[in-house]
Amino acid sequence: MIETQAVNFAYRRGEPVIFDISCTIKDGEFVALLGHNGSGKTTLSRLFMALDHPRSGRVLVDGNDIAKLEPADLADRVGYVFQNPDLQILEDTVFDEVAYGLRCKKMTEEIIKKQVKDALSAMGLEDLADAYPRALSFGQKRRLGVAAALALQPRTLILDEITNGQDEQEKEDMMDYLLKLNKEKQITIILITHDMNIARKFTKRVLVLNDGNLVFDGETAALFDGSKDIEQWGLKQPVLSQLGAKLGITALTPEEFCQKVSLKVGEKQ
Amino acid sequence: MRITAFTQLILVLAVTAWVFLLPVPLVATILALELVLLLYIKHDRMTMAAIGALTVFTGMMIVLQLLFGSSLYVSLTGGLRMFVMTTAFLCLLAATKIQDIAQALVEKFHLPCEYAFMLTTALRFVPDFLADSQTTLDAQSCRGYSNRGNVLKRLYSYLAVVKPLVMRAVAKSDTLALSMELKGFGANTYKNMAPQCLGILDYTVLALIIFMSAYPYWQKYI
Repeated sequence: MIETQAVNFAYRRGEPVIFDISCTIKDGEFVALLGHNGSGKTTLSRLFMALDHPRSGRVLVDGNDIAKLEPADLADRVGYVFQNPDLQILEDTVFDEVAYGLRCKKMTEEIIKKQVKDALSAMGLEDLADAYPRALSFGQKRRLGVAAALALQPRTLILDEITNGQDEQEKEDMMDYLLKLNKEKQITIILITHDMNIARKFTKRVLVLNDGNLVFDGETAALFDGSKDIEQWGLKQPVLSQLGAKLGITALTPEEFCQKVSLKVGEKQ
Repeated sequence: MRITAFTQLILVLAVTAWVFLLPVPLVATILALELVLLLYIKHDRMTMAAIGALTVFTGMMIVLQLLFGSSLYVSLTGGLRMFVMTTAFLCLLAATKIQDIAQALVEKFHLPCEYAFMLTTALRFVPDFLADSQTTLDAQSCRGYSNRGNVLKRLYSYLAVVKPLVMRAVAKSDTLALSMELKGFGANTYKNMAPQCLGILDYTVLALIIFMSAYPYWQKYI
C-alpha cells in the first residue's frame, strides 16, 4: 500500500510543483495517474520511490515512511520503470541488466538465473538474453525495463508512460500481461499515462493531476462517463466516451458500448 | 553596445597573464571588478553556487600550500591568482554564447572547426554529464543499490556509476556524430554565421589590454 499524506514538493531551483496531495493506493489496485505534460505525474511517482523527497508531508509504503527505508527494502516492495528506457540501462547484456537488482540483494546465481529467465520470458525477451541492451529497439528496451523491475518481484509496479513507442499489438500484449499480474498475483499497478484509451480500458481507478493538484480521484467509469469536463485539466475524452456522451451511454469497452447501443435501439423499436 | 567574443577571449587570456605580471593590489582590484561584472551579467543561484564552490576550492588550495611549507604571502597570492583566472572564464561563459566563442576561435584565431567544436561540446557536456550521473544513481537506487553510508562507502559506491555513465556517453557521442553528419558539419559550419565585426568598444578594450600588458615596461615611469 502506498499512501501520501499532505505531500508538497518543489525542485531546488524552482516553484512548487506538487501541492498538498493526499491519497492512498491499496494493495491489488490497478490505478492510472493521468494529467497533461508538466502536471506533476512523474514528480509524484519519483516521490513514491524516494528519488525525491517531499518539502512537507510524508510518503508511506506499507505503513513505513520511505525516507527511513533502505533502497533495497524499497525496491523489494516497489518497482519503477522509467519514462525513458535508455536512462535505466546499467549493464552490458540483457541478462545482466535484469539480474542487476537481484545481485544487489546478493541472491545466489541459481535463484538469479531462474528469476531472470522468468522475467525475460514474461516480456518475450528470452532470446535476447545475451544482446547488448542499448542495441535493442525502443519497444524492446521498454519491455526490458519492465522485466528488470519484475525480476525483483515487487508488490507494486509504477510504470511511467510504458506504452509510448510501442505498436498497438505490443501495447495490448503489455497491458494484458500487467492485467494478468494484477489479477493473478495481486500486484498493485500504478500506470502513468497520456493514453486515455488505455486508462479507460484497463484501469479501475484514476487519479488526475492538474498543475500539481490532485483534481480527481475516483472510478475510471466516473471520469469517462461524459459528465466531467476533463478538458479543463488538459485531457481529452476518448472517442468512445464522446460518442457515449452524445447518446447518453456510459461504456468503457467497445463491446459494452455496442451492447448498450443495441439495447437502446431495441427499446426505441 | 557589446564587445565581441574575440575581444572577450583576448581579455580572458590577458587576465591570465596579468595575474603574474601585475602587482597584487592590482590583481585584487581586477578580482573585485570581475565579481561585480559577473553578478551584473548573471546573478542567479547557479552563479552564486559557482562563486561559493570556487571560494571553497581556493581556500583548500591555500591551506594545502601552507601545509606543504609555503609562506602565508605565497599561499594567498597563489589562491588569489587562481581565483582571478577562473572568475575571468566564468565571466566569459556568462556573457557569451558558446556558439559565439566557437565562431571566434574558427574565424579570428583560425582554429580548425573540429577543435572548436570539441571545446564547445566539452563545455556543453558538463551539465549533461552531471544530470546523467544523477539519473544513473536514481536507476540504481530503484533496483536496490544503496550508496548510503560513510564517506568512504559513498565514494566507493560512486565507482558503480562510472560504467553506465561511460556507456551512455559513448551512445550519446555516437548519436551526436550521426546528427552532425546529417546536418553537414564541416569547414563551413561556423563561416556561414554572421561575421563578428569589431567595433569601437572592441578596439578600446584591445588598446587597454595592450597598455596593461606592457606594465613591466612602463612601471618604472610611475
